[in-house]
Amino acid sequence: MTVNGLLEGGDFKALSLVEGEREISGVYIGDLLSWVMGKAKSGDAWITIMSNVNILAVAALTDCACIILSEGVTLTEEITRTAKAKGINVLTFSGSSYDAAVSLEKLL
Amino acid sequence: MKELALNILDIAENSVKAEATLAKISIEQTDTQIILTFTDNGIGMTEEIRQTVTDPFYTTRTTRKVGMGLPLLKLEAEMTGGSMTVTSKHISEDPINHGTEVCAVFYKNHIDCIPLGDVVETVATLIQGHPDTDFLFTHKTEEKEITLDTRELREVLEGVPLNTYEVIKWIKEFLKEQYIN
Repeated sequence: MTVNGLLEGGDFKALSLVEGEREISGVYIGDLLSWVMGKAKSGDAWITIMSNVNILAVAALTDCACIILSEGVTLTEEITRTAKAKGINVLTFSGSSYDAAVSLEKLL
Repeated sequence: MKELALNILDIAENSVKAEATLAKISIEQTDTQIILTFTDNGIGMTEEIRQTVTDPFYTTRTTRKVGMGLPLLKLEAEMTGGSMTVTSKHISEDPINHGTEVCAVFYKNHIDCIPLGDVVETVATLIQGHPDTDFLFTHKTEEKEITLDTRELREVLEGVPLNTYEVIKWIKEFLKEQYIN
């Protein structure tokens, strides 16, 4: 499933969509950024509640397919601009990280 | 990171990379705060680098496009209501008094404050990995002050490298004893 495909259902909404055809090959959940840096894999959809600029760097480092902000968390305008400039897909989801993972499990 | 001790390791490595001959690491604990201060006499940062140092996409490494040490430390300090400051003088600005100081303040009663972790192991790891750099480590709590100065060690050791197994073992024991007593 691609990031665009994920958006079609309507539960996930795009905050920064740069590479919609990126394939999602797995899922990782975590909020401790240094931990995610070492654990998330290339192609993962990474679910987190963190929304500071550092998440973009972690996504770039791990080459994850997209960041999914759970609990309806969004980005500031400035960080959204940075996400687009750095080529990072960022989506938001209104439910918990668990709910987001359950939705992904059905879709992937 | 899961422990502040790991941040300490990460930030102190920056001093070594900046070719510091002396890196001072200070931990100060009050009833409400943990203050980490890193002071080195390395090459320092240019104005341009000072501006971008907390930008996670900036790096001193060439192999990857992001350097996360300072951005993570800043985030972790701010998550507790604290802050991080960086002051630095590049060698081109002052050929004698150059270097960098990083100071991070954590409010330890904040629920998001991460634990200090194994500081003894961190200090030993640093010395083991960089036996030619001098480290001055101080940990001040309300009850006591723990100190290790590798310059003093070097004088006593008369040429024995600091990363010798026995020396590292002694350093760990020396620090642990200070924590206990």
